[in-house]
Amino acid sequence: MIKYTINMQQKRRGSEKVGIFSKLFKDNADILTSPAAGRTIDISEVPDPTFAEGILGQGIAIIPSGDTVYSPCDGTIDLMFDTGHAVNLISDKGAEILIHIGLETVSLKGRHFRTFMNTGDKVKKGEKLIEFDRQAIADEGFNTVIPVVICNSDAYDDIRPETGKDVMPGDPIITLKEPK
Amino acid sequence: MKTFDYTVKDELGIHARPAGLLVKQIAGVRSNVTIAVKAKGTSADAKRLMAVMKMAVKQGDVVTVTIDGEDEDTIAPQIEQFFKDNF
Repeated sequence: MIKYTINMQQKRRGSEKVGIFSKLFKDNADILTSPAAGRTIDISEVPDPTFAEGILGQGIAIIPSGDTVYSPCDGTIDLMFDTGHAVNLISDKGAEILIHIGLETVSLKGRHFRTFMNTGDKVKKGEKLIEFDRQAIADEGFNTVIPVVICNSDAYDDIRPETGKDVMPGDPIITLKEPK
Repeated sequence: MKTFDYTVKDELGIHARPAGLLVKQIAGVRSNVTIAVKAKGTSADAKRLMAVMKMAVKQGDVVTVTIDGEDEDTIAPQIEQFFKDNF
């Protein structure tokens, strides 16, 4: 709760300083890049309490403008959901990351998703993980926002999302600072 | 040590959201809580979100839940009720 309050205060200082903080933290930080083209928003704005209330962890979300999800880090696929709507990765620095494409999309049971990696695969930052048919998913009435959640948020002193930015795959979107 | 078996009724199984709810439910529990699907040979520390998701528990899977620790007597019935209410 304390951690959350601090994050809220930092957010009010304005996004232009986030980049500077990210640079300061470079030494012992894990910087994750955007898995998709789009616009980043605060995860509390995601209209699903599972994500907005941080039940799965802290993070960020992307309103996608593309149809492909790429790896946000060098790491390992811990779980490629067989429905293709989500993927769990563990970064080489130990971050446990859930990328969830759309809300309630588990109920599509794999329709409109195509996976390019399997559970256990090693991946490099920027490698293609999943393609999704954004228009078809939206046409079925689903929100296509992509929450990116740090499932082991408790392992970090500070988790700093770069919200309110137009991003391309590979642009930094969140900085994880480990305890010293 | 307390243990119970539960057969998952939810047609979507224990995916991201239910896994998150489970981990949140038992986050403050002192006991060690593990879940296992013996038929698949999988198990996980129920306090570890990624580990629970990785089990990919499906409808019809029999989940064996084990609660082991000082608060097991009070916690076990609560966890069993949580499974019945949510999974």
